[in-house]
Amino acid sequence: MNDMDIEKIRKDFPILSKKINGNPLIYLDNAATSQRPSIVIDGIKYFYENINANPIRSIHSLAEEATKAYNEAREKVAKFINADPEEIVFVRNATEAINLVSFSFPFKSGDRISTTYMEHHSNLLPWLRLKEKGINVDIVSISDDYELDMDYYKHLPKNTRLVAVTHASNVTGTINDAKEITRISHEQGSLVLIDAAQSIPHMPFDVKDIDADFIAFSGHKMLAPFGIGVLYIKKDIAENLKPFLTGGEMIKDVSLSKVIYENAPNLFEAGTQNVEGAYGLGLAIDYLNEIGMRNIEKYENELTKYLYERAKELKNVEVYSGKSKRFSGIFSFNVSGLHSHDTAYLLDKKGIAVRSGFHCAQPLIEERLKLDGAARASLYFYNTKGEIDAFINELNDISEKYGRR
Amino acid sequence: MIYQRNMEDDKFYELVELYRNPEHYGKPSKYNYSENGYSPSCGDKFSIYLEVEDGIVKDASFDGKGCVISTVSLSKLCSFLIGKPLKEIENMQLKDIEDMLGIGDISISRVKCATVGLDAIKKINKEVSNN
Ligand SMILES: Cc1ncc(COP(=O)(O)O)c(C=O)c1O
Repeated sequence: MNDMDIEKIRKDFPILSKKINGNPLIYLDNAATSQRPSIVIDGIKYFYENINANPIRSIHSLAEEATKAYNEAREKVAKFINADPEEIVFVRNATEAINLVSFSFPFKSGDRISTTYMEHHSNLLPWLRLKEKGINVDIVSISDDYELDMDYYKHLPKNTRLVAVTHASNVTGTINDAKEITRISHEQGSLVLIDAAQSIPHMPFDVKDIDADFIAFSGHKMLAPFGIGVLYIKKDIAENLKPFLTGGEMIKDVSLSKVIYENAPNLFEAGTQNVEGAYGLGLAIDYLNEIGMRNIEKYENELTKYLYERAKELKNVEVYSGKSKRFSGIFSFNVSGLHSHDTAYLLDKKGIAVRSGFHCAQPLIEERLKLDGAARASLYFYNTKGEIDAFINELNDISEKYGRR
Repeated sequence: MIYQRNMEDDKFYELVELYRNPEHYGKPSKYNYSENGYSPSCGDKFSIYLEVEDGIVKDASFDGKGCVISTVSLSKLCSFLIGKPLKEIENMQLKDIEDMLGIGDISISRVKCATVGLDAIKKINKEVSNN
């Protein structure tokens, strides 16, 4: 597909024709979770009607098919981000992916980790918890333009073992230079983990180009079912990691005195996996590939530009995103004098779905931006300029009526 | 859904006005019980201060930050309790808060906002009756 036929695309998402409170649904909460196309929804049914069995271990024909489906899904994910299948570990979501690294990485007391002020809690709390083990956690600051302090990365503190950073912020929309951060961190001997939960759904992503050691993302933000996510672990690195969960399907040989573990990725996939989810993620990737990630990125950039352009008309609205050099389709805001939940409530009455509150980034919202919450509209490729118009017009009405001048 | 669907805009407007200048807002110089209340989805954080004498609420106030629903319900709860036995809080429920706000059918996602004050004052009541 070259140009995107949005009307046709929208028909692939049954929920987009739903009415909310008597109005057409305008779904602008895509950073929380995306909607799912029929190919994924129907695919799950197909899976249970045609493929379902416990993969990997049983040897009957159906299990063989399930194994094949599971492996194919892994191959699709690998290809999608230009990795090898052995580098793809299926997990529940980005949160589990990052927790896995925090458990399995052989940190020693005195080691340092860096994370940043713009992280989702899932790339913050797993590291803060390691403080109990004598590991130091540095929090990289952000500028008033929502850019990371790149000088910090140029001079990493001694003993920094891991640099954890988000590729795209779910609040400020900032797209960080993951490649450059990785390059300079590697030069100083640190490994790098990229939280790509808000980037991989929206742009072409090449792990070999970025070169990070760990990459975490969630299927549900990119059209796939809930409960399936991915941890990419660079080859060679996996050997140095400890197992995360132990149990079935992650071992080669077990006696009561000695256990020989499987290699990655199976080593990190203990127990029966979310096979339907992996299968669904594969279908979601097929769909994204058909539209083309480059097209998606280009169209979303256009929409984002349009949204920020129209937002200039708003009065009594404060905006907390979109100031960095590069940013994604995220628009965080408050109507002056109104709590974000109340703004979200008023928009919802018109069928417009936005997120409000802390967005699981409380240190950023509360300590750095000094807010008690923010509302957030976030775009995906099935949104339209018409929807943005409706959103801005409604927000205008709300801010005129309730905004404190 | 969130509030009662047919809740008039005017009703909400009224609540926003109360929210902007809530009664009983501010930390008093004199109080003998206090408790914090949180509603994590909203990010609401409040402190409630009570002056209780012989089981009677002599004064009640609160401070902190939150949404319209939590702020106004706290404010109304303070007005309601002043001069009454603290024990009255024991039997109060979400429904009573909805009546105070004049809205019904608060959505699941906002229940915590509406009851943040109620829960905190119930805690104080337990503490008082244990003493
Ligand atoms: C930047 C970022 N990282 C991580 C996550 C966590 O994703 P999940 O809840 O699917 O684990 C999110 C979800 O909102 C996010 O926005």
